[in-house]
Amino acid sequence: MNGLAELDRTILLCRDYVAADLTDYEICQRLQSQQILIVSEHRNLRSHAGQTALATLVSLVSRMGMQVALDIPDIKLALTQPPLQGASIESGLLAVNEAFVASATITTRVDLRPDLTFALGDTPIEDYRAPCWRLTGGEWSGRIDMDGVGRSWPWTVEFPVGSMISAALAATEAFKFALRRLRLRSELNRAFLQASQSSGWDFALGATPIKGFDLGWVDFISAGAISQAALYVLARIPGIRMRGRIFDDDITGVSNLNRNMLTFREDVGRAKVHIVARRCPQLAVEPIAARYGNGSPELEKLAPRVVVGVDDIPSRWEVQRRGPAWLVVGGTSHFNVSSSIHRLGEPCSGCLHPIDEPGPNVIPTISFVSFWAGLITAVRLLQEAVGRPCPSGRQHLWLSPLRMDLPRAAMWSPVPARKDCPVKCPASRSLTQIDPLAA
Amino acid sequence: MSVTVEKKFAVQVVYNGVEKPIQVEAEERVTAVLQRAIAAFGVTQQPHLLSLFRQDGTVVDENQSVEQAGLKPGEVLLLRPNAVKGGSERLRVAGDVLPATFRMLQQCGRGECECVVYWTGSTSSCEVDGVEHPAHTRSAFGYEVQSNWLTDFWKRLAAAKRSVKVQVHSHPHQAFHSGSDDCWPIVSQAGFVSIVVPNFATGKPSLEDAWVGVILADGRWQRLAFSSEVLVMS
Repeated sequence: MNGLAELDRTILLCRDYVAADLTDYEICQRLQSQQILIVSEHRNLRSHAGQTALATLVSLVSRMGMQVALDIPDIKLALTQPPLQGASIESGLLAVNEAFVASATITTRVDLRPDLTFALGDTPIEDYRAPCWRLTGGEWSGRIDMDGVGRSWPWTVEFPVGSMISAALAATEAFKFALRRLRLRSELNRAFLQASQSSGWDFALGATPIKGFDLGWVDFISAGAISQAALYVLARIPGIRMRGRIFDDDITGVSNLNRNMLTFREDVGRAKVHIVARRCPQLAVEPIAARYGNGSPELEKLAPRVVVGVDDIPSRWEVQRRGPAWLVVGGTSHFNVSSSIHRLGEPCSGCLHPIDEPGPNVIPTISFVSFWAGLITAVRLLQEAVGRPCPSGRQHLWLSPLRMDLPRAAMWSPVPARKDCPVKCPASRSLTQIDPLAA
Repeated sequence: MSVTVEKKFAVQVVYNGVEKPIQVEAEERVTAVLQRAIAAFGVTQQPHLLSLFRQDGTVVDENQSVEQAGLKPGEVLLLRPNAVKGGSERLRVAGDVLPATFRMLQQCGRGECECVVYWTGSTSSCEVDGVEHPAHTRSAFGYEVQSNWLTDFWKRLAAAKRSVKVQVHSHPHQAFHSGSDDCWPIVSQAGFVSIVVPNFATGKPSLEDAWVGVILADGRWQRLAFSSEVLVMS
């Protein structure tokens, strides 16, 4: 079956909830047979934010193997939408038909009978045959509401973070809809897959400036899904400035296509760092096709700000030991996202992840969860760059994207220092009482 | 002044954003609360990696009682993995492995002796596609693998880029992990799976009545409620 290899990690994650006797083929077919209609009128799609919401939603659902039909006007791109190319949003999206994963089509055929419809802003909906959610939002906040629930708003802002939130929320509903049509492992799992009438997320940065972002020097450790999502977000921030390096010795595999936001099928076999550098030239990220820790001391001197997107726990410790002034660590675990920041003197990533459990070779993943991890990572970078540092009580975020309509979907917490911190960071050492008589 | 300590109360446990009340008793161990929370949410994927976390980010010590841990009525606890690695995968066991295992355990044990086999697979995957029956002594009370055979076995595995994924052995009556089973697994790495089959494996090829457990990072063994937590049987 076409797309089975690309969706391998997604299918594996579906197995958290679907009946054990369902075959990979059946799960894949369920995802691939889902028809998504996305509609927008001119005024909701002319802004950079509106175009970003559309491009992001199409990428996220396509990377789950779903079929997308667009009912949109052909509008010139307000700003670039990497990795899309072309002069207009419609031509850019149609050009990547089946380019994310095999058999995931993107068309302008609107005669199909959709399973779900997503509408941008207050775009009028003529056909109510399928459940419909509206994507709305502001600069730093985004939400989705079932059509008829609450009031709909047009997309008017240009700043795109809110639009990417709403796209991630919408993609989650598409996924849950597909899974609800499969036999589940247990009725208890239905709670995780329940449709959200309304859901939203606000980074609560309303007073934060939305221009003049200068991130300075930033190093990215890994060019995998989380780093790619973070760079996907940063590349859409108008006028952003940054320079940096990205370290990774890995090449793109077929199973990366389900979540690597800057990657196409044609990239399989190519070094991940080169793909990232080529698709985001405005971010001036120098590709280093090597694993961080295997190079010369000069090469491994870290930038003041470091993004770690690797799942490997000892690699996180190794970066932390080099003492970067500011470190953000993004990770995913099944349907959850872990994001933490570590400034000098604060409890470190070793305090948060002190155990290196034996790792599997194949990790279950899905587009919208990895995207959330990258989105949060990027926003933490932006927040830091404009001098709005995260309070220590919000050092760690555990986010559960499946049910963003529930009050406990996001759990912020400090990172407690641990005596057994494998990094032996200053915060952990300060816990050890020194007996002056023993000295 | 006397302080009344509530003996039975509920804590709020959050998993995947969903919140559920879990009844606890002051004297019971946190590990029992954890198991109840895992069951309440129907978690089947790598539940042994999960812990309960307070809202201040500290982990609730599983070895303490509810009272010692200072849990309060209505306290919100987050159920999440204690090592975030993007998830873990179960071993996928090829269809002929379990029948072959039972055949070997039955033929060697003859309904009166313990026997052991090792499930193997490629080091680069989570597939189990081989069964190795070692040269070993046997009795109704135990077995001992010959050291020469073991040396040769490790060499063969290294040459073929394969590894031992699971250890399976039989017991006379009930399936459980004995003290020597705890101390002498063929692999002592955290996450290694051990299976004990009851009644000298004379029953049908199934893990329904088997003891299935994994070794934790601190060397303790944890029994799993279902073999499906770590194994996918093809």
